[in-house]
Amino acid sequence: MHPTSLMMTSSLIIIFVILTYPVLTTLSPRPQDPHWALSHVKTAVKLAFFVSLLPLFLFLNEGLETIITNWNWMNTATFDINISLKFDHYSVIFTPIALYVTWSILEFASWYMHADPDMNRFFKYLLIFLITMIILVTANNMFQLFIGWEGVGIMSFLLIGWWHGRADANTAALQAVLYNRIGDIGLIFFMAWVAMNLNSWEMQQMFAVAKDMDLTYPLLGLIIAATGKSAQFGLHPWLPSAMEGPTPVSALLHSSTMVVAGIFLLIRMSPLMENNQTALTTCLCLGALTTLFTATCALTQNDIKKIVAFSTSSQLGLMMVTIGLNQPQLAFLHICTHAFFKAMLFLCSGSIIHSLNDEQDIRKMGGMHRLTPFTSSCLTIGSLALTGTPFLAGFFSKDAIIEALNTSYLNAWALALTLLATSFTAVYSLRVIYFVSMGHPRFNPLSPINENNPTVINPIKRLAWGSIIAGLLITSNIIPIKTPIMSMPAVLKLAALTVTILGLLLALELATLTNKQFKPTPTLTPHHFSNMLGFFPTIIHRLTPKLNLFLGQAIASQTIDQTWLEKSGPKALTNLNLPMITTTSNIQQGLIKTYLSLFLLTLTLALLISY
Amino acid sequence: MGAHLVRRYVTETDTEPDPAKKFEFDPQFGFDERKEREMVASQEQMNLAQLPLEQRDYCAHYLLKLMKCKRDNWPNFLACKHERHDWDYCEHQDYVMRMKEYERERRLQLRKKRIEAKAEAA
Repeated sequence: MHPTSLMMTSSLIIIFVILTYPVLTTLSPRPQDPHWALSHVKTAVKLAFFVSLLPLFLFLNEGLETIITNWNWMNTATFDINISLKFDHYSVIFTPIALYVTWSILEFASWYMHADPDMNRFFKYLLIFLITMIILVTANNMFQLFIGWEGVGIMSFLLIGWWHGRADANTAALQAVLYNRIGDIGLIFFMAWVAMNLNSWEMQQMFAVAKDMDLTYPLLGLIIAATGKSAQFGLHPWLPSAMEGPTPVSALLHSSTMVVAGIFLLIRMSPLMENNQTALTTCLCLGALTTLFTATCALTQNDIKKIVAFSTSSQLGLMMVTIGLNQPQLAFLHICTHAFFKAMLFLCSGSIIHSLNDEQDIRKMGGMHRLTPFTSSCLTIGSLALTGTPFLAGFFSKDAIIEALNTSYLNAWALALTLLATSFTAVYSLRVIYFVSMGHPRFNPLSPINENNPTVINPIKRLAWGSIIAGLLITSNIIPIKTPIMSMPAVLKLAALTVTILGLLLALELATLTNKQFKPTPTLTPHHFSNMLGFFPTIIHRLTPKLNLFLGQAIASQTIDQTWLEKSGPKALTNLNLPMITTTSNIQQGLIKTYLSLFLLTLTLALLISY
Repeated sequence: MGAHLVRRYVTETDTEPDPAKKFEFDPQFGFDERKEREMVASQEQMNLAQLPLEQRDYCAHYLLKLMKCKRDNWPNFLACKHERHDWDYCEHQDYVMRMKEYERERRLQLRKKRIEAKAEAA
């Protein structure tokens, strides 16, 4: 075997071994070292990150991609399921990024969760999540992808419900599992269709055999799966509810890695999607709707974590729009840049929350720029990257997406919604900065604010570097697979920037309105719509169970009781027989009148018959 | 910007050509001599570079040069500005050519309409 491919495959197997080893040590009966979390888990992830840089550099230098088939698991005469790892352009770039972000989050979590008695178990859960995420990303067949898919779903459930004594956390965890399950229906439908019609779950065979087939139904199944996992409109409420989990969980799972799994699935399956206009249009419209709806909801939230969660959902909608434009590589670029600045936004929020004695309401923050200058600066950098400020990380991906949308032969409605959502991004980002960093403090002065701890500062610093240079590094090193259209009028080229600046100016104008003391404002309908999350959870979470219960009641009482017992069974027999019985008994009462009437009747009949 | 949309849907709905459909007029019409464009990169070269189908256009030779420059100069990712510019400029020229073809078709359609209107008036 060629030494380069040997190096590549070896490093990738070593990554799996390094990450799995700490989990296996927890199986031994010896009591665990109290510092196991830091000494074993964080070190393992850091080491795995540095090891993963070797395949990345080999890929960037030579374009080397490998597929390793390790084990024939379940092989029949006609169908094979193997353990098969695919290290192509997408997984080779995503793995180091996921490991880098996880390393930073684990270091932060060692401070954030230091008062938690079960910190070792928390880190173990995060590590198992990371392993299943990498299994998902490197899967070369649908079965392995499904293992990773379900694994990240289960770890999400366990981590959201970490503080399981809290009823809201349990509800949120259950909500996450249920919504993901609905998405899984789509994925299982896709897998079943593919197994029946394409006779394999290996991706290479799927792409080769499906060339001229009509793939609309399985692709719609895939889109439903992505809708569930990536919180698109219709199956989105679980993502803001997932903020019940600890902030490191929100930073890792619900911003950088798990929620992008749905989009990643669509990127992996893009060779199947690129010729099916129905699927592409569905993605485009669904993504546009999601990005605008969730950006609208983010405008009026008061919990800092919920604002960032809705921001994540909005960016996921933008990634879905990119898939709908048939640009999977741009969507992947946005996944990579988004991981950095979104994780950093969550870590800064977590630092501020802990500093203010677990206060999450932005209306009770303020003046953090003078009190925690580093954290507040990084919050600003993250927000600037999110809004697509030129030459930060978000610019390279977001602007490219909007340019592709502007220059494509497509849907004006989707374009309008996406541009509006871009301006809303600037609005709610400024809202966070205004309420958190600017102005004067609106909380009691006795809070444990300090930035002395390097376990807090270093992760945020690393992610800040990522938010600044990641976009430049990735776009400079990778040649796009689809030729970008570079020629367009200046208006289209500057559209994203213009819309963002307009949103920023609007938000500044609105912010200055809060300086004056007005009379108590009445509830405005748009504000109410946005604050109640579009009434979507209110309606769906109450209507569906109510309908189901009514249906159950109707089936139980009407179908079973009424139909079987009353209309067709015992009571029906009774009802049929009763009139006959009554009539017969009434006739045979022993009255002379009855006898005389019968006698007369018989006589009349006899006379009629004889004549 | 947007004038083409106004023309297509509002003012000149019958003459505005549809870019998705084949153009009506002969490419040689009105020209003395028009040579077909030639690919500079050969099929074999593009196969060896494993170029995706969409990138096998008339600018593929610049792309191949860019890919080679990138591979030779890694890790210096700032090294291939000139090659990148060449490829981008070639794609831009290709875009300009497509716009010119569209404009030619549009003007020929308008000319056809004018001739027909004159014939009808006469």
